[in-house]
Amino acid sequence: MASEATPRVNAKYLDSFTNQTVRILGKVVSLRGETATIDANGSINLHLNRDAHLQLNNAAEVVGKVQQDLSIKVFQATDFGSNIDFNAVEAVIDATHRYKEIFYDGND
Amino acid sequence: MLWADYGGGYSTTSYGAQGGAGGGGFMGGSQGGSQGAAGKGTYGKDTLRPVTIKQVLDAQQPHPDAEFKIDDVEITQVSFVGQIRNISTQTTNITYKLDDGTGTIEVKQWIDADATMDTASDPTTSKPKLVENEWARVWGRLKAFNNKRHVGAHVIRPIADKMEITYHLLEATYVHLYFIKGPLDQIKVEGGGAAGEIGYGGGGDTGTSGAKFPNVSAAAKKVFQTLKDSPQNNEGLHVQNVAALVSMNVADVRKAGDELLSHSLIFTTVDDDTWAPLEF
Repeated sequence: MASEATPRVNAKYLDSFTNQTVRILGKVVSLRGETATIDANGSINLHLNRDAHLQLNNAAEVVGKVQQDLSIKVFQATDFGSNIDFNAVEAVIDATHRYKEIFYDGND
Repeated sequence: MLWADYGGGYSTTSYGAQGGAGGGGFMGGSQGGSQGAAGKGTYGKDTLRPVTIKQVLDAQQPHPDAEFKIDDVEITQVSFVGQIRNISTQTTNITYKLDDGTGTIEVKQWIDADATMDTASDPTTSKPKLVENEWARVWGRLKAFNNKRHVGAHVIRPIADKMEITYHLLEATYVHLYFIKGPLDQIKVEGGGAAGEIGYGGGGDTGTSGAKFPNVSAAAKKVFQTLKDSPQNNEGLHVQNVAALVSMNVADVRKAGDELLSHSLIFTTVDDDTWAPLEF
């Protein structure tokens, strides 16, 4: 099952998840064609796929693989609108790693 | 006579009141379709528990036909959210593949022929559409068939407000902690002190201010707090990283660490200089 889970992370967790597929919910702060930047407790560079339709200043959830330089190769992106409470999102990320037994299989 | 056969927890009055179908309805025990089939013995204690898909996949089944258990508690109905990865329409059911970031599971909804005809004839009552890559919420019952698990859905509907995903995951965490650690108010009493702290996280956080925290130096407290506040993973933090975070020199951090180690507040992980807090 481990390969199927996509743990929710923010910028602070990226270096523990290189080469793994993760899920990031952040605010789109810039869009430059094939690349974009989102803010998820720190800014993260995204390499977009063709059918990602992000909207500037909206929240977006992306599923992608963490590269060596801590950018994300995006497999799939979903617009989450403008009405996201990022404090609650942070709480979920904290719970994900604090009580990971119900969220993902760690390598332990 | 028939009433007596049912015996146990059900009084004739409540049966009469809810059924209204007369005695014949109880013959053969097949009344109520899926409810009846799975309801044996669990009718009175049916629960509807918010879960993550990983919890569903990890659920224990003591023996075939037994109810599944999560955190050693029987589950009957579950509720979860998920992003729709695939929709496959069969003749008798629609199978959705849902992914909530913790795992993937198939959800089957049986097609009600009458209902389908109703919506077809009256487009104004047609339900909001479930489409791939959008999110949905499911209420249903976990089933195992040929060693493969799926959820039989009573209801599956699209999620309009994405915050529902966030609150669902927090609710699932809350209920999980309720079953493994006990009710929240109980934990507050045990933790003592810092009553204002929120939820289960607070249970651990009472550490620094509460009476449980042994007499350690200010530096040690600072190091401990830093270890707790940093992103949680198994390896903890190296002395060098801690030193950078608290802006102290490495020797002082090491001294503080020794103090914490001697009180068993932290433990070493990959090597002697990498520490993680014991209270997770």
